Amino acid sequence: MKNSLFLHFLTLLLFKQKSKHIGAVLISVIIIFLLSTVLFISSSLQHSILCTLKKQADFTVSRIEAGKAVNTPAEWVEKIMEINGVSKVAPRVYGRYFFAPRGNAFLVVGIDFFDEQNNQEMQLLLKNLNLKTFLSQDSMLVGEGVKNFLKAHYFTDDFTFKTPKGSFKKVKIAKVLPKQSNLIANDMIILPIDVAREIFGIGEDEVTDITFNVPNDAEWDNIITKLHLMFYDVRVIEKREVKKAYENLYNYKGGLFLILYLVTIVTFILILYQRYSMVYSTERKEIGILRAIGWSIRDILKLKFYENLTIVMVSFILGVVLAYGYVFILNAPLLSQIFLGNANLSNSVTFVPVVKFGLLGSIFFFYAVPFLAAVLIPAWKIAVTPPKEAML
Amino acid sequence: MMIDIQEVNKIYNEGTPQAFKALKKINLTVQKGELIILNGVSGSGKSTLLSLIAGLDKPSSGKITVDGELISKLPDLHASAYRAKTVGVIFQHFNLLESLSVEENVMAVLIHSGLDMPTVKSMIEKSMKQASIAHKATQNISLLSGGEKQRCAIARALVHEPKIILCDEPTANLDKANALKFIEILKTLHQMGKTIIIATHDPLFESLDFVDKIIHLEDGMIRENTE
Repeated sequence: MKNSLFLHFLTLLLFKQKSKHIGAVLISVIIIFLLSTVLFISSSLQHSILCTLKKQADFTVSRIEAGKAVNTPAEWVEKIMEINGVSKVAPRVYGRYFFAPRGNAFLVVGIDFFDEQNNQEMQLLLKNLNLKTFLSQDSMLVGEGVKNFLKAHYFTDDFTFKTPKGSFKKVKIAKVLPKQSNLIANDMIILPIDVAREIFGIGEDEVTDITFNVPNDAEWDNIITKLHLMFYDVRVIEKREVKKAYENLYNYKGGLFLILYLVTIVTFILILYQRYSMVYSTERKEIGILRAIGWSIRDILKLKFYENLTIVMVSFILGVVLAYGYVFILNAPLLSQIFLGNANLSNSVTFVPVVKFGLLGSIFFFYAVPFLAAVLIPAWKIAVTPPKEAML
Repeated sequence: MMIDIQEVNKIYNEGTPQAFKALKKINLTVQKGELIILNGVSGSGKSTLLSLIAGLDKPSSGKITVDGELISKLPDLHASAYRAKTVGVIFQHFNLLESLSVEENVMAVLIHSGLDMPTVKSMIEKSMKQASIAHKATQNISLLSGGEKQRCAIARALVHEPKIILCDEPTANLDKANALKFIEILKTLHQMGKTIIIATHDPLFESLDFVDKIIHLEDGMIRENTE
């Protein structure tokens, strides 16, 4: 009963003094919205990249000469296959193809479509891809960014590559890669390995690199040692290194935003503290009146605590819901470019909804605690002064 | 004996060069059901004495006992309980919560009373009727006239049925008609057996036939005690 009266009074104060709270709610919503947006984007990108990386080979090897990457002999494929514990060895031919007039570049990846694994992955990626028709003519699969770029330059059905020998290679656009893969495949062109060799002028006995899997994690270091013993000029890239590099990239970008957020929150909390500490503020008078009619210091702090906890919770829910809609429904216009960058081809990414509740809990905690402290400390200071003084 | 004040001194800014002695060696007893007028010019110490009896402030020295309880040394929790149960204060500037309505202001006193909602509602209605403000129950304070605000303050002071009612310059912000209305309410409360202390310099109170004692304060001291 006691609590129901208190709750009734608390609700009354919140509703009747909404103009007093609206500023704090608005600023809180903006801060929580921005922070949640950054975290949602960062988590979603990390999730997407990790999902993509999961499908990638565990190792990529290539040949180096004086520290510079050069073409890898195709015979290495056979040699690597002979190592125990290695599976799914596949040669790749890839490179950046510059579209000179505009200074843009495509990532051309040539793969062996007759390889069973590659074949299955392509069928999964593009359900209606007719492999027979695809391979019967020089065709390619392009990322959405490539497709839009080529279309803007009047290459709607095919594109003519210039080979190092000075001849031209016309390749038909067979299909566009799904939008979900835009994060890494926006500027990508996938085509048969032989066509890629022709475009880059690479001989039949050479590839750019070789990928393979080692299902037993414990053997990874052994395999690396074996590779170094087998080839003195090998460079080995592990999937976990790539994963770490991506994580660092997005953590760094997210970290910058976190610093900005901290600066904002500290400023806001200082403003709040100032507002509540003001000698002639309405809060001061209100506390004085309540003390004069019999409210104890504890009662005052309880009222202020619940009043501001409600403000924090309402702001938090609003901020998070708005951020969710902005990122996962509207695809974070403006902000997404900061994360993705559009230096090469403009990218449009669909963010996969990823919500880390632990992270949201942390945002709430790190926002609510300073907010409540900024209000409760001055409220307590007023409450301990004689009511007569506070009411002045 | 209802209120017993012994050798009470009140010094503001004690221990600083700005120290000011507002009350000097005050001795006073008030019997249950008495209506007392504290008069004197501004700065004579009337309001200070009233706030000490109300438990809104503490004396620098001396004792104040109310119904046998030493209120001058009460810790916060007990002092708050004392204010919430024993005294009702009517302030010169009303001191109402401007954003709330009349009944909500009156209710604020009972929030921590532990009473249930229907009881609280009936107590609010009763006090508003006593203060002749029931017709404005849902009206916001900011929309009330000075007299209505005063009556709301009276209702708030009465709602918890206190034994002592303290009024600080209750008619200072009222016109004559509203002041007379207030005196009528005061008379009824006196008849109900409430102990009432009024700090005022309004001469209107000196001629009232139901006043039991007039205490004249000057420079923080009691100069005259008229029965």
